[in-house]
Amino acid sequence: MTENVVRNRFDFDVTARNGDARTGSLVINGTELETPNLFPVINFYAGGTDNSVYGGGIHRTLKEFMIGAERVGVEPMTEYFDASMTSVASLTDYNLNRNRYESYLDTPIKQRPLFENYNGLIFADSGGFKFLGGTDIDGSDFEVEMNQDAVYDIQEAFGSDIIVNLDHPIAPDDSHATRVEKAEMTAENIHTFLSISRGFDGAKYLTLHGYNYSMMSEFLEVITDSVPEGVLKEGFDGIALGSLVPKKDDRDALIRAVTDCREVMNEWGIGHWPLHVLGISSRAVPILAALGADSFDSSTHIHNAINGKYNESLMKRVDLDDADFSNCDCPVCSSDLLVNRMRGNAEYQKDVLGPVAMHNLVVVKDELAEIRRRIQTEDEDALIAYFEETFSHDKTMRQYAHKVVNQTLGGYF
Amino acid sequence: MKKAPKVNEVNEFLEIASDFEDPLEVIRESLSNAYDAGATTVEITILNRAGGSDIIIEDDGHGMNERDLESFFDLGNSRKTDSIGYKGHGTKIFYKSDRIEVTTVHDGTSYRAEMDEPWEKLNNEVLPEYELTKTDVRSGNPGTKIKITNFRSGHGFDAESLTYNKINHYLKWKTIAGSTAHYFDDDQREMEISVVLDDEIDDTQDGLVTDNRLTFPDEQLDPDDSMYPAERMCKHYPANEIAVEYDGGKTTLQIVGMVGGKAARNELPTYGRHSAQFGIWFAKDHIKVERLNEAISHDNEFIHFLFVANCQDIELSANRESIRNKASSVYKAIEEEVEYYLSKVTQDPWFKSYLETRKEAEYNRRTAKQQTSLKERRETIESDGFIPKNKAEVLIALERASSTSRGLSHTVEDYDPTADIHAILRQNGRLRNAAVFPTLTGLFENDVPLKNTDVAVCWTQGDPAILSEYERNGYYGGDLKFDVDDGGFEYENDGRQFVEVIEVSELLQGAAVPAADD
Ligand SMILES: [Zn+2]
Repeated sequence: MTENVVRNRFDFDVTARNGDARTGSLVINGTELETPNLFPVINFYAGGTDNSVYGGGIHRTLKEFMIGAERVGVEPMTEYFDASMTSVASLTDYNLNRNRYESYLDTPIKQRPLFENYNGLIFADSGGFKFLGGTDIDGSDFEVEMNQDAVYDIQEAFGSDIIVNLDHPIAPDDSHATRVEKAEMTAENIHTFLSISRGFDGAKYLTLHGYNYSMMSEFLEVITDSVPEGVLKEGFDGIALGSLVPKKDDRDALIRAVTDCREVMNEWGIGHWPLHVLGISSRAVPILAALGADSFDSSTHIHNAINGKYNESLMKRVDLDDADFSNCDCPVCSSDLLVNRMRGNAEYQKDVLGPVAMHNLVVVKDELAEIRRRIQTEDEDALIAYFEETFSHDKTMRQYAHKVVNQTLGGYF
Repeated sequence: MKKAPKVNEVNEFLEIASDFEDPLEVIRESLSNAYDAGATTVEITILNRAGGSDIIIEDDGHGMNERDLESFFDLGNSRKTDSIGYKGHGTKIFYKSDRIEVTTVHDGTSYRAEMDEPWEKLNNEVLPEYELTKTDVRSGNPGTKIKITNFRSGHGFDAESLTYNKINHYLKWKTIAGSTAHYFDDDQREMEISVVLDDEIDDTQDGLVTDNRLTFPDEQLDPDDSMYPAERMCKHYPANEIAVEYDGGKTTLQIVGMVGGKAARNELPTYGRHSAQFGIWFAKDHIKVERLNEAISHDNEFIHFLFVANCQDIELSANRESIRNKASSVYKAIEEEVEYYLSKVTQDPWFKSYLETRKEAEYNRRTAKQQTSLKERRETIESDGFIPKNKAEVLIALERASSTSRGLSHTVEDYDPTADIHAILRQNGRLRNAAVFPTLTGLFENDVPLKNTDVAVCWTQGDPAILSEYERNGYYGGDLKFDVDDGGFEYENDGRQFVEVIEVSELLQGAAVPAADD
């Protein structure tokens, strides 16, 4: 390892602030990402063997857009895949046997010929949510016991840019004792994770669990009982805030979690670390960005497409049948071939809904670009105006928008 | 054959004049007319008369010409299109009187119109006529004087109830005297309004002088250190002009308002109950018309607000009391805009801190009240000792008796005060179903089914006379036999049952009493 590589392994610079919101540049192994940004969820396992070529429905079509496969007839849409989220658990979606598993992990994702056009950051989640959340998914198909060692091996084999320790997410109705127990188990994983990942070429994010200040502080207290604070700060580069998926529709809870998380980070002297919010839905993205979250991951664009919903804007979805593709100038809606497919003229459902998912993703990514522009003005009115335009007459969201304007942008009065 | 529908003119006049109950509505109408005529001063005099009141209104406006006077008396012939009194109905209220005299000077001509017995004639199905005379005068002193003789108020209304205080509140709340226009337009013409009442009506002051501006109580953003620290808090929300687009056009919404505690709100004029006054008002010509309290969706908090949302595209009913075009797209658009604006106010951190201050003060008052009541309770304990007043206390006593006496073994395993059988006890290792009451009589008074009751736990037996009444009359068709001193009572109804009675006061007395300190 040369010194140069070490110096470039990870860098995060805040370039502008507006209220609590901030724009920044996240550089990992020479790849730069502007924040705040969204990591769309991608299942890279497609192409595990030469014969399978692609796997899995809409996920497959999205990858075709990503690499500009001939089937979709557009140039690689790399700018919308400057970052991606995948999970170690994604491997368990396919009934891999041991041999297949081993041979798949032979080649890192970005070194596969299929993904030669792909140069985005890959964030590999530990899959703790799936492995340890009480569901019956595990690694037994490929005869691997899913522990911290195994998870890290997979993250590394993927060639990931950002990884997290294997965590034990909490649930809203967990008792205090259960939460402490989960934090203790996570602490053990962190201990292991830090010792086995010393040579990792990328960024390491610490998973943080809790819904409010007290829960997150306590989580860190428990962790530092096993891992000294200095080691923790030396070993990690960022925070991944987890356990929010069950609360994703409770905007108050989200606002509180992110606000309190930033406060805890400041108190622990890690306020300059990037903050990634795991698994957050797209409509909440502007609100969380305004509160100081730097990145998110989401599969909402896919779920919306599966439900036949086309995003007219970040806030407004219409039934695919009612969509007017001529109002959008994204590469998907500008293609006659793809518009024709979205109108239902395709043999496979994935070719009807895949382009819709891609369009939906473009809408969210464009929105984030706009949010970055507004933050960069460093003029609070620019963000307030954004909230006005986006949430003003949406009765379900506006009180949360007001909350954010009051909390970080000086309020209306 | 074509036929034109006919109008019974007399009935129309009767109908419209009857629509107005309150003589103050005459004043509302006249003030609006005076403002429209460019007046800077208006004087109103009200004198008490046997069957009603004389009302005299004088202004220094530019007066009326012959056509204007026609409109004054005619129905549905208003010449005004964009002014306050544009419906042309308002002046018809004057017909409820014995005589109407109008003297008006306009452009060097003086007009005098006199109408006699308008009300009596209408009621006799005669359309009253007026006599118009015209004389040239030197220009320079324009103005209008209207004198209404023996105006008849609505049912149950008499002039004596018209105090200065009442009139002042009415003017400021319901008429142009309470206009919020000045918050938007620095050029709003000021109008001095004076009212003089007959001494017979109100002799507490010589007269009343006011202007045509509603002003909000002074701001006080911080709590004070009184017992109700939020009571005088008050914040102004400055005039805000919002362009509103709707299906088919554009309009302007002008919102201004305040939020404040009771003491601050008491500084505002009111007309009627507070709860029917404050909130969010739609206004036209900056005069409040109708409330939209749904604009503040949560917790009935509208009482803390006074917002006036003015829009000139609101259309009013003839008596100005309600909005006519609620189904229109313009109304819907401004309604939504008002709700949106108020959503910002209710999320304003100041408003939240105001509510928080109220809550904290309430909390502190509760604490103080608790101190008093706790003091009393402690004194009772010191003088009378422990006497259970409810089921839970009976169980506490039972546990206490068990813990201080070696021979007893009662533990409370479960307690559900809402169930018929309130507790499950463990007694010498066995679980037993227990109905619990401060007195045994309570069990029967509450119709507790006995089939599943093993034990009745009580502090004392209660009134023995009541128990013997149950013994005499039976309980749900069965026979009762009390032998409490021997441990319980028997109930016979489709079988014989024995319910053990635990009289806790006895147990506690029997239990070892710890030696006193002194
Ligand atoms: Zn599109």
